[in-house]
Amino acid sequence: MAGGSKPRVLIVEDEDNIAIALDYLMSREGYEHDRIASGAGALERIRDTRPDLVLLDVMLPEVSGYEICQEVRADRGLAGVKILLMTARGSAMERRKGLALGADGFIAKPFELKELREEVHRLLEAGATP
Amino acid sequence: MSLAGLSLRLRIFLFFAALALGNVAALVAGLVYGYTKLGEPDLLDGFLIGGTVAGFVILGLVVAVWFLFDENVAKPIERLAGGMRARTHAEVVAELDQTAGRYLGDLAPAAAAVTQHLAETRSALTEAVQRETTRLAREKERLEALLSDVPVGVLLCTADHQLVFYNGQAVDLLGGAHAPGLDRRVFDYLHQPPISHAYARLIETDDPDAASDLLCATTADGKVLAARMRLLSEGEDHHLTARPGYVLTLRDVSGDMRAHASREQLMDELFDRIRRPAAALQSLTGVLTADDGPTGAARDRVREAARSEAAHLAQAIHTLFERHEQNRADWWPLAMIRASDLGEAVRARVEAEGGALLAVAAPLMLRCEGFEMVALLAGLAARLEGRSDLRLEISEDGAGAMIALEWTGAPVAIGALERWLDAPLETGLAGVTGRSVLVSHASEIWPERLGEGRARLCIPLREARRSVKRPKPVPRKVVYDFDLLGQSREAEFAATPLERLTYVVFDTETTGLLPSEGDEIVQIAAVRIVNGRRVESEVFDTLVNPGRRIPPASTEIHGISDAMVEDAPDIVDVGRRFHKFVEGAVLVAHNAPFDMEFLRRKELAIGLNFDNPILDTVLLSAVVFGQSETHSLDALTHRLGITIPEEARHTAIGDTVATADAFLKLMPALKARGLATFGDVVAEVRKHGRLIKDLNG
Repeated sequence: MAGGSKPRVLIVEDEDNIAIALDYLMSREGYEHDRIASGAGALERIRDTRPDLVLLDVMLPEVSGYEICQEVRADRGLAGVKILLMTARGSAMERRKGLALGADGFIAKPFELKELREEVHRLLEAGATP
Repeated sequence: MSLAGLSLRLRIFLFFAALALGNVAALVAGLVYGYTKLGEPDLLDGFLIGGTVAGFVILGLVVAVWFLFDENVAKPIERLAGGMRARTHAEVVAELDQTAGRYLGDLAPAAAAVTQHLAETRSALTEAVQRETTRLAREKERLEALLSDVPVGVLLCTADHQLVFYNGQAVDLLGGAHAPGLDRRVFDYLHQPPISHAYARLIETDDPDAASDLLCATTADGKVLAARMRLLSEGEDHHLTARPGYVLTLRDVSGDMRAHASREQLMDELFDRIRRPAAALQSLTGVLTADDGPTGAARDRVREAARSEAAHLAQAIHTLFERHEQNRADWWPLAMIRASDLGEAVRARVEAEGGALLAVAAPLMLRCEGFEMVALLAGLAARLEGRSDLRLEISEDGAGAMIALEWTGAPVAIGALERWLDAPLETGLAGVTGRSVLVSHASEIWPERLGEGRARLCIPLREARRSVKRPKPVPRKVVYDFDLLGQSREAEFAATPLERLTYVVFDTETTGLLPSEGDEIVQIAAVRIVNGRRVESEVFDTLVNPGRRIPPASTEIHGISDAMVEDAPDIVDVGRRFHKFVEGAVLVAHNAPFDMEFLRRKELAIGLNFDNPILDTVLLSAVVFGQSETHSLDALTHRLGITIPEEARHTAIGDTVATADAFLKLMPALKARGLATFGDVVAEVRKHGRLIKDLNG
């Protein structure tokens, strides 16, 4: 995160209704944010915009969230990008898989906005104080 | 006494003696007649001398001929006959000595030829019997091994529902406190109605190949078993009664039914817990979005209600999903398999396809469908072909295990991995993919980068336990006595031949000799004798907590200390189990009044009576060997050539086995005395009743 400027968040979510809620939450928190609905262009967008945080849905059409996560972590240039995985199932096995693939946080749907907001804060603060 | 009763040599001797006597008598008569006819007294001396000389000559000749006849005919005939008898009955194999019979013409060679032929025929027959016996024994062993290994319980019953065969799996399934025993009713272990119905159904169909599937439950713990009944065909069943026996194969389905029930319950709960908040949310959203919706405090209340319903809904989904995850592995028929076996199977499969893999496994038992997991891992290894140093490691991971497939090189891209998982596996089963295997194990897979240029694929298993050592082998033997199939049930003990009865031979160890002064049982051991055979695997041997201290003097005799019985069940519990074990059997003990006194004092507490018929080996010994002998167990077993190993002496089970073996040897001795039935024996024993009190009535 560039010093003083707003944190930038990329939302990778194919479900529009959830995306609406996430958009709203990010605006209210005062983050600069952007959304992409498919996994296919997500990696390109991350490489281009280098957001501080990616809210990454696991179950995406074409390319899965896990795959994007693995690719981001394989790219040394993207080491500063935090990834918060959002899954629809939230099993302990999925959590382990996500963390093993390099995700920084994990949240299971359905989630309370408050819960998500706390997790986002935690990750952005961790990123801000290396 | 007739002459035929005398020996050949004696008869020949008597014949020659009579001949000599007759000759001398004829000579004397002739001389007397001649002398009287001449009428000359001066010639008397001449007649006397001549007669005497002639008499001696005749006697000498007769003796000489007798001697030759005895030596060369009578003795050789006796020797020849003895030799033939020895070869016929005592199985002497040496060739018959023909030199002694050289004056008997062709008799000796003929006898030699006969015995020789007999010996040859007999040895050929013995060899054939030996060969056949070996073959049958081998086949029997194979069948036993096969039947002890089949993964279902197998029972074979008579038409009267008595057990004549069971395998180790049946013991596990019927289980509970009462292990199955030969010649017991199958209804002691399984509830009667479904079995009786199935049997009646099969008898009615009159089709020898018909089988009937049924569900039955164990009496011990109500476990539900799926069973299949098939009647024994006439050929297999050498029965006396007209009705055939049957085979019952058993499989435990309690687990399946439990899994089914829990899944149903979860589904019901799922709908129930989602429907209510969903309905509430729909109504609340309707209110909030209405053009003339609430305002101010009313709107806040509706919003709060919607928020709380959404939270309920989310909470319900999370908890139900968690339960679903926990139960999912239970819904699939997963067994515990050894991690090293899994590793070896994967290695073998990879090597068979020309690859190489090192398998390292921690000493763990994994809850896992072995066949599918091997197919998945071998499939992944095949995809990783070309990567070096392939290694499969199975290690402990919390309450479960981690299966990791490692190699030297870069990690696999998860996109590629997911495509692999969607392809069918080589299991021969339709629809089995890597993903379906992971789902049935409620697991996931992911790649990881390791240090030193290595990477791995991880598959965690939810459930595993440490296997410190191989479990003690369960006695998997099959137990049977097919002769029971041919027996019809005799209700009346008294008229039943001894060897047809079922016996329980038992012995107790106690805190002392005086039950009337508070001495108690500390151990009961018993074995069963069915059809004249001790059934090795049917043993009752248990310590009993006497509820009082064991005097050191008693501990010295039987080696049972207070510490050993501390956690043992009390006599009420053991007595009930023992009552079940002895059901329908004749009780046998050495000095039975002693042991029975201890048991009968507890009948009230146990709530059951030990009213079985009783035999006492002390009394049986008195019947067979006479009252003047010593009848202690040592003396009796010594007389019967039974040795009790020193370490077993004065242990309840050691003495029980010795008593049982002595009883089995006494049985033929009783029969030889004409005491064939239980009634005969009891009547005879009563005559010896002065020795010890008879307990049968």
